[in-house]
Amino acid sequence: MTPAAEPLAATPLLRVAGLSKQYPGVRALNEVDFDLVPGEVHCLIGENGAGKSTLVKIIAGAQKPDRGTIEVRGQKTEIQSPRHAKDLGLAFIFQELSVVNGLTVAENVVLGSEPGSAGRFDKAAAVATTRQALAGIGFDSLDPNARVGTLSTAEKQAVMIAKALCANADVIVMDEPTSPLEEQEVQKLFAVIATLKAQGKGIIYVSHKMREIETIGDRVTVFKDGARVATLPRSAISPRELIRLMVGRDLGDIFPAKARTPGRAILEVRGLSGARIHDVDLTVRAGEIVGVAGLVGAGRTELLRSIFGADPVAQGEIRVDGERLHANAVRAAIRAGLGLVPEERRAQGIVPVLSVFDNVLLPWNEFPASRRFKGTPDAVASRAIDSMSVKTPSLAQRISALSGGNQQKVVVGKWLTMNTRLLLLDEPTRGVDVGAKREIYRIIDDLAKDGLAILLVSSELSEVIGLSDRIVVLNGGRVVGELPGNASEAAVVELSMIHGLGASTGSEA
Amino acid sequence: MTDLAHSATRRRASFGGWLIADRQRVQTVVTLFVLVLMVVVFGLINGRFFTVTNFQNLARNTAPLIISACAMTAVMVARGLDLSVGSVLAASSVVAASLAVKGVPLPLAFLGGLVFGGLIGFANGWIIVRMRVSPIIVTLGSLNIARGIAYLITPSAILVGLPPRWSDIGTSNLGPFPVPILIALAVVAVYAWISRRTKFGKHIYAVGGNEEAARLSGISVDRTLIILYVLSGVMAALAGIVLSTRVGSGDPNIGIGFELAVIAAVIIGGTSLSGGEGRILGTVIGAVIIGTLSNGLNLAGVEPFWQYVAQGMVLIAAVVLDRRVNEQVMRLGARS
Repeated sequence: MTPAAEPLAATPLLRVAGLSKQYPGVRALNEVDFDLVPGEVHCLIGENGAGKSTLVKIIAGAQKPDRGTIEVRGQKTEIQSPRHAKDLGLAFIFQELSVVNGLTVAENVVLGSEPGSAGRFDKAAAVATTRQALAGIGFDSLDPNARVGTLSTAEKQAVMIAKALCANADVIVMDEPTSPLEEQEVQKLFAVIATLKAQGKGIIYVSHKMREIETIGDRVTVFKDGARVATLPRSAISPRELIRLMVGRDLGDIFPAKARTPGRAILEVRGLSGARIHDVDLTVRAGEIVGVAGLVGAGRTELLRSIFGADPVAQGEIRVDGERLHANAVRAAIRAGLGLVPEERRAQGIVPVLSVFDNVLLPWNEFPASRRFKGTPDAVASRAIDSMSVKTPSLAQRISALSGGNQQKVVVGKWLTMNTRLLLLDEPTRGVDVGAKREIYRIIDDLAKDGLAILLVSSELSEVIGLSDRIVVLNGGRVVGELPGNASEAAVVELSMIHGLGASTGSEA
Repeated sequence: MTDLAHSATRRRASFGGWLIADRQRVQTVVTLFVLVLMVVVFGLINGRFFTVTNFQNLARNTAPLIISACAMTAVMVARGLDLSVGSVLAASSVVAASLAVKGVPLPLAFLGGLVFGGLIGFANGWIIVRMRVSPIIVTLGSLNIARGIAYLITPSAILVGLPPRWSDIGTSNLGPFPVPILIALAVVAVYAWISRRTKFGKHIYAVGGNEEAARLSGISVDRTLIILYVLSGVMAALAGIVLSTRVGSGDPNIGIGFELAVIAAVIIGGTSLSGGEGRILGTVIGAVIIGTLSNGLNLAGVEPFWQYVAQGMVLIAAVVLDRRVNEQVMRLGARS
């Protein structure tokens, strides 16, 4: 990354002063000052609910501040609406990418400011503008006429960035842009960000990931409880210091020490093949955490789901504690002592309209006493909630009212109401803030120490390495290697990327 | 231009590639196949099917369906729904007929009917976007309201005393072509143009595909939806005028169940219930399938009640067939 010139002299692209916002019962933003100068990447960091999103929403025109001023390029202004923010040259790339899958790349890029006179849509002009904008960020290969629904997440992000450029935005806000991306896609995004900096754009970069902030941040502003705690220059950025400022205490190492002793084999997978996985062999022992690494699309999620019986298995054998497991049957898997914590918490993990109590007892209610933890429903639910240290006012609370971290603990907890021997964890800390992450890591470690076998999938390499005793690397649905738990990130990345990409990507021919 | 030529040749390189580049194409091909199959079967069953008179009949009878289905397609692409079209069709034609009976010149009477349809559509749209009520509920309400208005205007009787030229639109031909189908084709052309070649058309797909993205792009989602509901009301009224001038009366009982035929045509034509996808061409094919079905069954002497059964089965079969073919094509596409 090119180190930017110290951003001092120029008029700030954006400056907010004394910004405050009160929601019923919560002071979301309290006297916040912030500025962004041309050609800098200004990172925002803080736990969930610290005020980053509120600040972004106010700049985006989606919320009105109670007090405080906003200046855009030295002009004092009140941002009335998303449209107004756009006209002021502010662009937003949210995690939930705001693209329209049914339209083409070009149609998305010019959406809302289409070329053409008197209502007519000038397709040729739209395509030309789009091609130029894409070339400007090194995505020349993207076809402006392609449907956005057929693109990868990284390409959709490029569409959003091209859209920002076409709208002549000079302030670009990116909210956790790398969380859906692969390692090499992240590198490409960083290259795009460098280009944007060189063009004098200012970038507000919201992220939880320390390594990225160290890599691309020119300044970092830390939020805690709605207030700005500190703004640090590049030279003062260190992960430990940032975490201390965010959490208000020194967390130390966020991963627990690996002091576990694996016992007998709980899960044995031999020659497992399905739609996206091929001939997978795998063993997980009691008290052991095995991490699964690989790029998105390598078959990680499909592997977990196939073992759990949720994705179709064509061939192969799964044994749990020596007994053969009937494939393609979720109920059989649960009876055998398997539990899945799925990737999409909201869509697959919880039933948002039900209470914590009903959510945690979802599997318990479905199975006979021999398969589940003994006790009255109240006792079983309380025990699971307590051992996961879920913070909830009561068991009757609707689960959707809890924070993401606590919801996730309930999803893990529901398997503690059963005779679970193997936990399949798919992205267990996605969308969870740093404090809660650390707690979830501790819980995972405790569970393993208690003798549970754990198979862990995560796209955060540091997580896989920090927790696992062994790391299995997938590529194109195949196991391409196994590394010890103390492997370096470089070693894992090398294995997951370098091996020949087999049949799975050859759709061109 | 070289770019366009380039992408065209690249696409033509393989028919399969061209087909799967767009889910909608598969759908169109499947529905077209179903239509051709039906035409062939009906032609074999009854010799009278393949006559100019029958095709004129078919065209005349299907025109109202096509007109309203075009508007419904746009509404559904924007992730809306308009259940009131059948009642609006009846009420608007009764409004036009009662104006005509009172001696208002015919063009003004028709205009009155269209304005009435537009007003109901506006009320639908306004309540849906401003009061944030689900379109199913709002238009279910206006379905009843409009039907009630139709009966209130002509209490349980068919209007009589219409001027003799009332039936001109519905019954006359231009050359060999019935005027109703020409009106329908004009509506089709306008809607196809709007959806493909205008900014508003892109906004319709954006609102239905990702409402938040549309809003963040500065599109007025509310205005877009209201316009679509107004147009749906106007087109239902136009369909009502075409229908009532064909039957030669102002009958408050017409168009009962019409909304379901319209929605069936749109769905057979491949418009997604969850919005963001759909084509006018597909809808036209869907409408013609439904029209051909009742025409062919009539000719074959099938009892009218069985036609309901047949229509329902075709709707379900078309959607199932489309899904199956789509899965197969996508699988082949992924493998090749």
